[in-house]
Amino acid sequence: MNLKELTVKSLHNGLVKKEFSAREVTYGFLDTIRAEDGEIGAYLSVLEDGALEQADRVDAMIKDGKEISLLSGVPLAIKDNMLIKGTRTTAASKILEYYEASYDATVIEKLKKENVVFLGKTNLDEFAMGASTENSGFHVTKNPHDTERVAGGSSGGSVAAVAAHMALAALGSDTGGSIRQPSAFCGVVGMKPTYSAVSRSGLIAMASSLDQIGPITKTVEDAEILFDVIKGKDKYDATSAEDEVIHRFRERAPEDVKKLKIGIPKEYFIDGMDNRVAHAVEEAIARLKTLGFTFEEISLPHAKYALAVYYIIMPAEVSANLARFEGVRYPGIPEVENEVNSLKDLYFKTRGTGFGAEPRRRILLGTYVLSAGYYDAYYAKAQKVRRLIRNDFEDAFRKVDVILAPVAPTPAFKIGEKASNPLEMYLSDIFTVQASLAGLPGISIPVKEYVMGSGELPIGFQLMGKPFHEADLFGIGKLYQKEG
Amino acid sequence: MKREELEKLAKLGRIELRPEEEEKLQGDMENILNYFKELQEIPTEDVAPVAGGTSFFNVFRDDTPGEEIDGEAARMMFPETEDGFLKVPPVFSSEGEE
Repeated sequence: MNLKELTVKSLHNGLVKKEFSAREVTYGFLDTIRAEDGEIGAYLSVLEDGALEQADRVDAMIKDGKEISLLSGVPLAIKDNMLIKGTRTTAASKILEYYEASYDATVIEKLKKENVVFLGKTNLDEFAMGASTENSGFHVTKNPHDTERVAGGSSGGSVAAVAAHMALAALGSDTGGSIRQPSAFCGVVGMKPTYSAVSRSGLIAMASSLDQIGPITKTVEDAEILFDVIKGKDKYDATSAEDEVIHRFRERAPEDVKKLKIGIPKEYFIDGMDNRVAHAVEEAIARLKTLGFTFEEISLPHAKYALAVYYIIMPAEVSANLARFEGVRYPGIPEVENEVNSLKDLYFKTRGTGFGAEPRRRILLGTYVLSAGYYDAYYAKAQKVRRLIRNDFEDAFRKVDVILAPVAPTPAFKIGEKASNPLEMYLSDIFTVQASLAGLPGISIPVKEYVMGSGELPIGFQLMGKPFHEADLFGIGKLYQKEG
Repeated sequence: MKREELEKLAKLGRIELRPEEEEKLQGDMENILNYFKELQEIPTEDVAPVAGGTSFFNVFRDDTPGEEIDGEAARMMFPETEDGFLKVPPVFSSEGEE
């Protein structure tokens, strides 16, 4: 068994044929974490005992001759903004350093039913706010391909864990690119589902009109398998869509997949884009053409305004969602607790001390765009331009089935390079926020296989689909990885 | 952004600012808000705003008791309790409330 080559299906086959046990596989991944994670910093907590127990349960089922699901015994990493009952869940924030989840997120409940193995909780930018995982309240996650560079963010820990073979797959969350951008930086597959396809119950909310949970994997096929398990209507998330909507569009036969027309938005291929990214995306397009896909240039005239719209709407929602962290309902911060003499004092000190620089900045920004006198110029304006951005996509999808674009304007940047300039960091999201604002599914796929240690930095290309047409993205992605 | 303006926002957001960060924060906020100005060039008079991520309208569920959530597990996370209740510092202080 070579851990590095395992996929969901090959792991499943190996377990069923008794070539290896779930315990051996889990132990192998835990060993890799012990050996590698000191350098990479992907995990915030490792759930060794629980993981081995889950693995043993799967082995017992196999021994008893019971049928096991495809995901049984698959070792997963979970971004630390999703609740696993009884385990520490911090969102990488000091304000939640001592918080233990009192219930399971819906996605966790679904995965437990499949008997997966949870290896641990992974690092992120605090409350998923950032594009580099440098904003974590605990430590920076390094890019396994070049440890002087960032893993991307905010799901940097989950992505680095998969890239460095410290988990077979992972869950991340994506608000403006937080699954897709780090996946591109680290050479793995990352997928943001259609808004409302996956329940957010038990996901620590950042911006509720945008947040989605999605899979991070080595192959497109694995992403599809994980997505199929976590999607679905949930009574605990009133914004989740009905099952008949989520399941409406099935996978096409491979020969029909090749009939899908791919659009290329001219606004995305702008002057000044990093050459390496431009070449890599051209390479991906060329390979898809060889596979028989046809392309058409399309226009998304309001795409260039998406970043400004995103950085108004998101902080506005952040300022509301983060109001619940005030030192009363979640464990307190020790250095604050002894110093307060009124409730108001507790609020100010807890939030001033517990939140890092980026959450504080976004709360203030959100408070500003929502406050009297500025609301119309900023928040109301952004909501209207968001409509125009959506309309652009609706128009485009009358001509094409899928849209191809870069994921990020550059490959992984150096640690510290953008840390002190928030606006420059925000520009990392320039190609991913559009799908977020329009609620569309998006997937980042590595342009090719990137060998660790070769010195080459991974680059991904992005496919965006019509709402609930994830199957189209998987269909193209699987062909690309198998035949491209 | 003026210092008074930043301090007012911090008050509304219930955040105690760190004196050493205020100057940089003023500059950062100014830069970010300047970036937003490009939106003003787009005409939006007749455009309906997008509010929320879906167009769902009135999502109901049956008003019947479901599974109990684990109250004890939630209470365990409170910083301070008394007789099973959440305990907080005094709500009113001698300085008066805002």
